[in-house]
Order: sequence, then C-alpha cells, then structure tokens
Amino acid sequence: MAVNKQNKKSFGRIGALKHNWNIKLALLSILVALAVYPFVVISSDASIDDVIPPVGTHVGEDVPQPIEFPHDIHVKVNKINCMYCHTYARRSKVAGIPPTSKCMGCHKVIATDKPRIKELTEYWENKSSPPWKKVHDVPDFVHFTHERHIKRFVTDRDFPVENVKEICAFCHGEVENMTVAHKVKPLNMGFCVRCHEDNGGPADCWTCHK
Amino acid sequence: MKLSSNKNTTKQIEQTDTRAMSGTIDRRNFLKIMGWGGVGTALSGCDLPSTVTLEEGKEEVMSYLMPEEYVIPGVGVWYASVCAQCSAACGTHGRVREGRVLKLEGNPESPINNGNLCMMGQAGVQGHYNPDRIKSPMMREGGKLMPVSWEKAMSTIKEKIAAARGDQVAWFTGALSGHQFALVANYLEALGSKNHYAHETINNSVWQSVCKDTLGEANPRLRLDKAQMVVSFGADFLGTWVSPVHFSGEYVKFRKQARRGLLVQIEPKMSLTGANADLWLPSLPGTEGVIALGIANSLVKNHNKDISQFPSGIQDLINKYDAAAVTKMTGVDEKQLKRIAELLNERSPSLVLAGAPVEGHANGYNAVAAVMLLNQLLGNIGNTIESAGVFPFEQMQGTVAGTSSLFSFTQAAKNNKLAVAFFHGANPKYTAPTALDFDKALNNVPFKVALAQFLDETTMAADVVLPLASYLEDWGTHVAAYQPEQSVIGLQQPLMEKLYADTRGLGDILMDLLKTVNANEYGGFADYYAYLRQAHAAMPMQNSNNGTDQQAWNASLQKGVIKVTSNAEQLTFNAVSFDDPVVASSDAGTSTLYLAPSARLGLWDGRHANLPWLQEAPDQISKLVWDSWAEIHPSTAAKLGIKQGSIVSVKSEHGAVNVKAVLLKSIHPDVIAIPMGQGHEFYGRYAEGRGANPLKILNPTKEEKTGELAMYATRVSVSKTNQSEVVVKMGSSDTQVGRRLVVTMPVEQYQRSEGA
Repeated sequence: MAVNKQNKKSFGRIGALKHNWNIKLALLSILVALAVYPFVVISSDASIDDVIPPVGTHVGEDVPQPIEFPHDIHVKVNKINCMYCHTYARRSKVAGIPPTSKCMGCHKVIATDKPRIKELTEYWENKSSPPWKKVHDVPDFVHFTHERHIKRFVTDRDFPVENVKEICAFCHGEVENMTVAHKVKPLNMGFCVRCHEDNGGPADCWTCHK
Repeated sequence: MKLSSNKNTTKQIEQTDTRAMSGTIDRRNFLKIMGWGGVGTALSGCDLPSTVTLEEGKEEVMSYLMPEEYVIPGVGVWYASVCAQCSAACGTHGRVREGRVLKLEGNPESPINNGNLCMMGQAGVQGHYNPDRIKSPMMREGGKLMPVSWEKAMSTIKEKIAAARGDQVAWFTGALSGHQFALVANYLEALGSKNHYAHETINNSVWQSVCKDTLGEANPRLRLDKAQMVVSFGADFLGTWVSPVHFSGEYVKFRKQARRGLLVQIEPKMSLTGANADLWLPSLPGTEGVIALGIANSLVKNHNKDISQFPSGIQDLINKYDAAAVTKMTGVDEKQLKRIAELLNERSPSLVLAGAPVEGHANGYNAVAAVMLLNQLLGNIGNTIESAGVFPFEQMQGTVAGTSSLFSFTQAAKNNKLAVAFFHGANPKYTAPTALDFDKALNNVPFKVALAQFLDETTMAADVVLPLASYLEDWGTHVAAYQPEQSVIGLQQPLMEKLYADTRGLGDILMDLLKTVNANEYGGFADYYAYLRQAHAAMPMQNSNNGTDQQAWNASLQKGVIKVTSNAEQLTFNAVSFDDPVVASSDAGTSTLYLAPSARLGLWDGRHANLPWLQEAPDQISKLVWDSWAEIHPSTAAKLGIKQGSIVSVKSEHGAVNVKAVLLKSIHPDVIAIPMGQGHEFYGRYAEGRGANPLKILNPTKEEKTGELAMYATRVSVSKTNQSEVVVKMGSSDTQVGRRLVVTMPVEQYQRSEGA
C-alpha cells in the first residue's frame, strides 16, 4: 500500500487535469453505473469494493474466427476458470492463446461429435493450430502486462482466484456471455490512465511507453 | 457508437471531427485540439482510438501446438552466441521471445568484450530481418540470375569442380576462423589447391607482420590497463582497430588508474580515439614513422635511453632524425616532440601503437617498425606488450586477412589460373580499387559461386548464388586473431529457426561439398551440427569437468565460449633492420592533397551500409548521417574556394568521386578524408545509390614488404563544382554560439590562475 500512496501523491502534480474531467465524469457516471451494475450484483461476495473498475465502452467489430469458439459454454456452463486456458496471464505480459494440445486434452473425449470439435481435431491431426484472429491489442509502443495486473488485483488483494473473471472483465467485458471474444472496452490511453489514477497505478510515461 | 464508420458528413468542420475521431488523427489536428482546449482536452485525445488499437481481427495470433515446458509467451530467454559483424568475434547474448531473436547484447563470459557490444553488433538483427535477404539459390541464365533449386545449384557446382583441375579452385573469403576455416582448408587440400584468399579492407596486417618479425608473435597482448601513457599513431582502438569493444573496456581501466592514463593520438584525420585523446596531433600521411624516430631521438638524447641495443643501421636512423630535422619534414612542433618524449620517459610503462594511416604507404612496414622500436626503447616489451602464447588449435586460427589477397587473386585470375572461385564474407568487387582491374580479372574466372545473404556487387557478378542463413540462424566456431588475457573459442549457435527455409549455413554447404571429395572422412556426418558436436567432444577443454558429452555440450552452449589454455612465453625483441621510413616526395603536380579513406565504426568497409540503424547513426566526428562526404580543413577549403556543402570533385590518377565538402578542423590541412562504406551499386534498398566509394580511386600501390594495399598513399586534386547541398547532420552548429555551455580556458591561463 505504501507504493500506492506514493503513486497517489505523484498524481497531485497533474491535479488540474482531474478538475477538467469532472463534467465528463459526471456525464459518464450514468454509463458507469449501468456498466458496473452487473459486477456489483455478481461480486457482492467477492469484494471488489476497494477497486474502481475502468470506465468506458467500445462497440467492437465482429471478428469471425476460424472456429467459433464458445466462451459462454466453457465459462458459464462448465465454470472453467479464465486462467485455466489463458495460463500465461499471471506469468507474462501476454495472457496467451491456449496451445492446441490443451484443447485436445479435453476434446479427445468430450463432445467429439460436434462439428466445431471435428474441425479442431482436424487441425490437431494436421499438426497445426487454428489461425486465431487477434481481438484485443494495443499498439507496439504500449507495453501492457497481464502479469502485473493480475498481481495487483488478484494476488496482492487475496482475491479469490476462482472469481478472476470479474477482474478480467474490467478490460475484456463479460466474455462469459460471448461466443468468440468481442472488444467491448476501448483499451486506449484515456481508459488506462483514468483507471491508474483511480486505483493508484503508476503514472510515469515510461512504465507503459518504453 | 462506431467511431470509424461515420461517413455521412458533409460540412468541413464535421469532416475534421470525424477524421479526428476515426483514429486517423494527424499532427495538425492534434495540435489544433491542443490549442483549443488546453492540456485537459489534449488528454481526452487519449480516449481517441488510435488506428492501431482499432485493428480488430487484422492480425493472427498463433498458439503453440504443444508448448515447450520452459517457453512462456511474452517472456524472453537469453541464449549465448558469437557476433559476426566484424572479425573481433565478441560473445553475444540474444533475447529470444516466441521463437524470434529481438535484442543482442554482449556476453559477460567472453573475455573479448566482457558483456559489452558495439553498435555494429547491436545492429545484427537488422541484417537478419533485412527485407533484401536472398531467399533462394540462383543461377545465371541468359545473363540474368534466375531462381533454381538447391539440387540444381549444387550439382552444377560439383560438375564444374569435377571438370576443373584441383589447383584451379579458389576460395575468396573475409576473415574466417574456427571450424569453418578448417573445413575450407580441408576442402581445398582435398582438391590439391592452395588458393585461399582472405580479404579484409580494415585490417592490421602490417602491424601483425612487424610484431611477428620483431617479437615472434603476430598478435601479442596489449595491456592498455597497465600503461601509464599511450601514444597511438592512427590506431583507432576505440573505433575500428583490431578488437574495439575489448580495447574500449581496457581504455576505461587505463583512464581509471590511480594516475589517470595519458593518451596522445597522432594521425592525419581525427578518429574516435583521437577525439578522446589528451593531445591530438595532425600528421601528414607517411611521416608518422619519422615522428616516431624523432621521439626516439629525443628519448636517447635527453633521457638516456639505451641506443646501443639496436643494430648500427637503426642507430643511424635515430641519430639522423633529431627534433629540428623532424619538425622541418613533418611540421610537428619541436616542443611537442620533446614534450611527448619527456612524458613517455616519465610515465612508464607506456604503449605505442600504429594503425592504418601508418601502415598504408609503400614503406608502411618501416614506419610501423619505427613505432615498435619506441616500445623497446621504453621497456614496454614484456610489460605492456605480453605474449599471447600459442593457440593450441592451429587449424582453427585462420589466416591473416588483408588486402594483399586482392593483388594475388587478381594476378591469378588474369593469368587464367582459376576455373572456379567461391566468394564468402567479402565483397572484393566493391573494395578493390578500379586501377586494380579486379572486374576484368573476375570476368576471367569462368565459374564463380557466391555464398551470400545479400545481392552485393560481387554476388551480382556470380554464376551461382547460394543463399546463406544469417549468423543468427547458423552454427559455427570463432577464434579471434587477437586474444585477450584468456584465449577462447567462441561458440555460435542459432538463436532462432531460419526465416527462409531455402537458406543454408556455410558449414552445411561446406559439408555437402566435402562429402563429394572426401567421403571417407565426412560421409558419416548428417550435417555441420553433427560435425561440430563430434569436434567438441574431441576437445580436451570443454566446459565440464565430468559428466556426459551432452552435459558438456550444453555447458558450452550456455557459456558461449570455450576457454583454451595457451601457454604464454617470454617475449624477446629482435630488432629488424628497416629502411628510412620517410616518404619520397614525388612531384605530385596539381594533386596536392592526400586522400584518407577513413574507417568508421558503423558502416565499416561498406558491409553494413544496408543496415538503417548504422546509416542513421551519426559519424563520430563529423556527425553526418546517411551520406558520403569529404572532410577538409577550413584553411584548405578557403584556398580552394570550397564552402560547407559544396560538391567537390576529388580526382586521383585513377578516377574521381563527387562528394559534398564538410569543413572540419580535425584533419591535417594537406589531407582530404572520405569515409568508406557508401557508393554501393548493388546491396539492397538502404545502401544502393547512396554516396561514393573512395576505395575506387585509390592508387594500386603496394606496401613493399607485406604486399598490402597502401591505402593512404594516394594523392588527389580537389576542385569545386557549381553545386552544393545541405549537409545533414546531428546538431546544427559546431560552436556554442556564445552561450558558454561548456566553459574552457587556455592551459596557460589555468596554470596562472590555479597554480597547477
């Protein structure tokens, strides 16, 4: 927490900016309330009250994937943790697309008759991975790291890992209600910086731009 | 709200807004927003999606099929290897992420560079990822190089080899060492040929020759770290001489001694080392040997140094060049000479070095020998000049690579002695002076094979082009000619899979060729890797005391260097007799200036002209980028009516080049310096048609004793044309424009006021 205090302090220098944002923030607060509402209800037992989730919405394009991967079935129906498949999120800057071997770990025996699984099996047997399309991306001059964010919002706060999807949803939206991923947050600098200000994240340019 | 698809705007203002909102916000609009709304609004610009973030579904993200246990996407792993950007053989660490090499740094295990790496080494990735790489074998058909298969290319080569007499086959390479060198040697031996030409334009062959003759070792260890004073005659050891990264590290130690080491640099044109010197003296090319003798004379006369140890011929030379005579011949102030001698006498041990400007004359050997004489006179031999010992694997050491190979190859080709020539790691068609008639000699070789990554001048003239893997994709071992305290073999391993499947490593191509001429010995190896593994297993000094072969190999790969014991011996000085080093003043007519084809850390001899990082890195002295230029002293320029940026024609007996003039005081008034590296006819998009190549107009003068090209012996006339161009360089002004950013005062004033 000492670190966070320090960071809060450093925001003081650009306090003027905050002032200018007040009107905007007021206007956005309705949106915020709408956007955050589902979290509040879902997370009443997992305590994210001390965190102010980032604010902003984005209407993403429909990105057709080689296989229409159903996130909803995996997350909502089968209750699989995000980090079971996106296993690098807590170890690396990228969350990682699960290796095909991981998919096949289950789908050698589960739902083998479904057309999408047949397609997947074909890739596997050809010793190739489906060429997934990237949905969430930041420019090359932005160094976003999943590892640091998982540490800050999950590990450091003893947040129950089984509920990690609520943290992931800050930036990825409710993936449990999507089939293939859909970008619903802007992931631009304003989105990042406001959340950093609200939650005491670092404010130095070179933390992200290096 | 889909920001990017709002197309129904007609009014000007709306269009501007849409453009700003749709992510293609340009600089002007950004500034407008800044101007209107102040900083707060500008930060709300951060909410505008950039064009890059809007790219949803444009890029593919490939997952692993089966992840390697230790691979975490996004986390880099460092692997050890060897740099191949010059012949110093520094150890490197390469950061590899998701199977791609992204960054190169120095390997702390290597005693050559001790964890440091110069900008040429750093730029290695740009050669590797260069868009102009050759991606498939090519063969000349109807006068043009056309893509062919490897099978076709190799079978054609083997047919030509079989049809030729063994001794008509030649390899023309750069400085080659390690097992690659051993394989080339074995291949030529199997064919019964002795034609290995090793060529490096930036070399120290004459220095090596003098060391060999006087000390018995071509590359003794130079202990800058122990020297109290260094006098360097044009040896740019911080930039281009021998092993610059190593010497830069030693230079730090030299300067950080309890008594800060003193550096004096004497050279025609200021080098990077010259810029760091405490005293920089401009010398007229060809007079450095005389200056050295003048210092020797002063040491003998004023400081009781023992002259009787030298043969009488040398004694006569030393006596001949007293300070007054030297000043008359060289223009170097008598007081300066005496002062240098005084300091050398006082600061012992010292180190006296000689570089390219001293070597590059018809009697360069004599001048270097005169410099070496100073080391003996000052008692530096065995002190700051130590024995490097004998490297235990002679067959891996490589030969001295220099410019004499240009002459010998040209001669052999002209006399129709060569039927097949292989080219690797050298671009002689670019580096050979026009007057050497190298092009004609090359046409005389009926079948030429180029092993290359890029279509340079020599490769374009080849009959078969074999695309090489980059050094970041290939196996190899490297033995530097100059070995510091601990002798090592550098172990080069691929840092990633080949970018282009149809390229091959030098070792693999050599193994293929060797299998046809010596199946007994080489038939059993699947590839070069298998050969190296066996060679490593046979080495007595692997990186593991006990354990399996695999463990030893892994340990060597991890370290990147294999340490070798070479027993140092006591160095003894044998005074070689040499002639008067003074340059006979010939009537040069209107060619009044000496041409200095200067070398720079960066483009080197032109091999790095296709790397944008090195093109854009400003020259260390003139600060110019992306260009060729002629450095000329302001007083000379004034005489000739030349201004900064004037296009001048620099004309020798053998041709002319047009370059823009850059006025600098860091050059002797009788010298014009044109840096090497530019003026490529072929070498990819970044190098082609840029600047001029000063090597082309050099006189084909030989250094008499070693047969090297006398690179500083060309006289030129300089005339201005009517054109001029803007000089593009870092920092617009050479002065402080009266702002007193760095305050200076003359030494005399300092001594008066501070009492030092």
